[in-house]
Amino acid sequence: MMFFLEKNDLPELLRRASAYFEIIAPVLVNGEPQLVSWRGEDLALGAPNPLLPPTRLFLPPRETLFTYLQESGLYTFQVPQVKERLIVGVRPCDLRALSLLDRIMLSEPADELYSKRRRSTAIVALSCTEPSESCFCAQMGSGPEAHEGFDLLLTDLGERYLLETGSPDGIMLARLSEELLERGDDAEKRALMRESRERILSARPWLSQERMRSKLREIDWRSMSRECISCGGCSFVCPTCHCFTIADLGLPDGERIRCADSCILSGFHRMASGANPKARPEERLLSWYMEKLEYMLSRAGMPGCVGCGRCERVCFSGLHKTDLFR
Amino acid sequence: MVLDAIETTCVYCGCGCGLYLHVEDSKIIAVTPSMKPPARGRLCAKGWLLHGFANHPDRLREPLMRRGDRYVQTSWSEVLSFIAKSFADIKRDSGPDALAVLTSAKATNEENYLLMKLCRAALGTNNIDNVARLCHAPTLFALGSSLGSGSMTNPIESLLHSDLIMIIGSNTTEQHPVVSFYVMEARRNGAKIIVMDPRRTQIAEIADLHLQMRPGTDIALLNAILNVVIREGMIDEEFIRSRTDGFDEVHDRVAEYTPEAAERICGVPAELIHDAAVMYGSAGDAAIVYAMGITQHAHGTDNVQAIVNLALATGNLGRDGSGIYPLRGHQNVQGACDMGALPDYYTGYQKVSEFREKFEDSWNVELPASQGRTAIEIMSSAGSEIRGMYISGENPALSYPDSSRIRSALESLDLLVVADIFPTETTRMADVVLPIASFAEKYGTVTSTERKVQLIRKAIDPPGNALPEWVVAAKLLEIFGISAGYDSSAAVMREIAALTPSYGGISHERLERGGIHWPCPTQEHPGTPVLYRDGFPRGRALFRHVDQHECGDGRFTLIIGRSQYHFHTGSMTRRVCILEREVPEAFVDVNPKDAASLGIRNGTGVILESESGTIRARARLSDSVSSGTLFMPFHFRESPANMLTGWQLDPHSKIPSLKITSVSIRREGA
Repeated sequence: MMFFLEKNDLPELLRRASAYFEIIAPVLVNGEPQLVSWRGEDLALGAPNPLLPPTRLFLPPRETLFTYLQESGLYTFQVPQVKERLIVGVRPCDLRALSLLDRIMLSEPADELYSKRRRSTAIVALSCTEPSESCFCAQMGSGPEAHEGFDLLLTDLGERYLLETGSPDGIMLARLSEELLERGDDAEKRALMRESRERILSARPWLSQERMRSKLREIDWRSMSRECISCGGCSFVCPTCHCFTIADLGLPDGERIRCADSCILSGFHRMASGANPKARPEERLLSWYMEKLEYMLSRAGMPGCVGCGRCERVCFSGLHKTDLFR
Repeated sequence: MVLDAIETTCVYCGCGCGLYLHVEDSKIIAVTPSMKPPARGRLCAKGWLLHGFANHPDRLREPLMRRGDRYVQTSWSEVLSFIAKSFADIKRDSGPDALAVLTSAKATNEENYLLMKLCRAALGTNNIDNVARLCHAPTLFALGSSLGSGSMTNPIESLLHSDLIMIIGSNTTEQHPVVSFYVMEARRNGAKIIVMDPRRTQIAEIADLHLQMRPGTDIALLNAILNVVIREGMIDEEFIRSRTDGFDEVHDRVAEYTPEAAERICGVPAELIHDAAVMYGSAGDAAIVYAMGITQHAHGTDNVQAIVNLALATGNLGRDGSGIYPLRGHQNVQGACDMGALPDYYTGYQKVSEFREKFEDSWNVELPASQGRTAIEIMSSAGSEIRGMYISGENPALSYPDSSRIRSALESLDLLVVADIFPTETTRMADVVLPIASFAEKYGTVTSTERKVQLIRKAIDPPGNALPEWVVAAKLLEIFGISAGYDSSAAVMREIAALTPSYGGISHERLERGGIHWPCPTQEHPGTPVLYRDGFPRGRALFRHVDQHECGDGRFTLIIGRSQYHFHTGSMTRRVCILEREVPEAFVDVNPKDAASLGIRNGTGVILESESGTIRARARLSDSVSSGTLFMPFHFRESPANMLTGWQLDPHSKIPSLKITSVSIRREGA
């Protein structure tokens, strides 16, 4: 179903939804867009995509898997509660990343916490009418339009939004604010999306998945990696990265935590013997890209790069640039 | 309020990177960089993993008092009265100079200020110092005496305007990653990079020239570069004439430091020295970046002076892209010095000898005039003249030179109070342990390496009964009868601003809108990113000729430094599981040629021995060090590198010679 929603009415729609969900939305915190619990602040939907990808709300960089308490030699365990959430402003690239993560994290045996969070979270997506300079979702086939994976989809038409429902939950949510909605159509949206797609494609007309894959082995990773400081930043902002490590903190009581990890770090690959098959940064960089462009594709049927451009925004060395594949 | 993002400043090195702590239910679940300078979206691995330690269950939660061999939990009121009474007793019996305070470069400006006030106004002694004594005391002395301000002359961003960046004694990519980001950006825009380091570090790998000198021969090298610059007529005569004094003597005396003479001392080919000098001398705007490789020597002040001489001779001061960049190692080591946590200065480098009356009037107490002791002097008189000590967030048992001597010094005290966030080797020796709020659990300001005062903001609650240290210091001040009445750390900053010309215009309200570079004398003043644009505060800048000192004659010279994945004594980073995995144990870099002759293979256990002590570590074969040079990090209590270092002090700044030590090395079991 398609509706028009006056821009001024979006907060009211969210307020009504907040009776059922904790609302997470991008707002400006000291001038920069961040995903936070929404308390009625101005929404920063027009700002660049926040650095912390929304996928990280399902698989936080640091999370408690359970806490343990020892009493007279017996352990009791406590598992954290999962909240009902509505995430607002998820872009198509991140939406695609989420469906990729679903294929990985929910395949048997499904990851319990991820699956609980996934089930209890609703998503209001946002069509990308204002792509950033570093965006190349159109080339990766993940944007700027969202086709699935959302409960509601907003498209900024200037004065108002086009609101589309994508699931039964989305229809329920829309019904909560029925009188704010007006039957709509997507003619204007189609034009806007065409324009946005053109803009993204024309910024890098030479770029394609096939080109990236074929170029992978030609790139001189050794010289490229000379400036890589192995900070792991590219992994920590990548919406499809999902590797983690687990540690028990505290004795006799404490917690088992899961912590986002990065294959850019050398210790990630080191074996118990001390031998390291990927001791050199160029080997790790190549394997990072292989994972994104080859292995995820063959494992999950989707490339692991969704063209969000976050790795470029955090890279020390200017290495994570699509120019690499030119 | 369930999911939140709080902008604050990173706690590790002095770069001062802004970042957001993503918090859910009072736990930090993620970290992302701020897009504002200096971070501009970049963080090192330590920064990205900053969510790893604040919520760690090892955190100190309750005040602890020693009862025999055990610690018992106690209340704040009991522990603070005990501290106050014990300090007062020592003061009555042995005089105020039997007490000493070491403040923390991880504490805020407000906390350093209040501890400084506590030390001087309440305890009545100038025996106060901070870890700067072990890192940039020579910078403070040399830059202060020759230029007028002992700090970085330009902001980090200024490097983007440099035509040439000379890096000496700094492993920039690993230790100040965000500074290296600007160096690499400058390089991508065409700047030339010269690295002078006994180790082939990552930044040396990407440099246009790498001068791999013998450890401790920096002065010979810098003087030889100046020698060539003078001979080739590349000096800035107008700058020298109009803005400096003392050039003639330097001019005459560096004449003997020909590249050929320097080659014999440094082991760097004369031709390479010549090339570096021409490259530096012919650059429009040239910057010199340095760190511990320059300062942590028994002649650290002279080392810094050699850098100053070079910058002055070429007129590379007072402009974007030029300047001298001493890189500070701690989040707030600059601030700790600015706040007067130094034996000879009040806030803003106001000399005790000149400004005592001003502070007496403001604080309404009589202040000590006696000469205060520096950190190592405090340690060397512990147990004799010094009987009581307050150590804030430091771990000298591991970080100070000659660890065994430090441990017996601390053991011999009548009262040792240690405030920290985690149990450390030093809290284990304390009579009283105070649980302190971490950077993520309090408000305050910190001053980064580029003199930029920035806010830290509270993101989560402190664990248990831990308190921000400014609250602890304020309570102690009140017990000592010094009216405090601070209701927030912003109120403390108002007092600092009123007493400190360089911080005069700084307030928490203003900092909400972004950091400010001091000097910032008034509310309207925009701050001063670049110093010396229009002149030097001391009138004319001063050349001072310095000579190369004797170098160690041991077969092996051990360089001690840090790994990029750990910070100092590891009390924070070793509790972050991924960082601990990256570098789980101490290593000694050994050149493969040396290794072959010693029968050492990669991973072999080796014994290192110096005049001070003996330790064991694992060898790592690496051609990043030359034959005769070894490198080892000091983070690891299992292989405490500082068991090997000695107490040889620089005469001017009293910094100990931590960077290099003559050692012997042998295969374990050999």
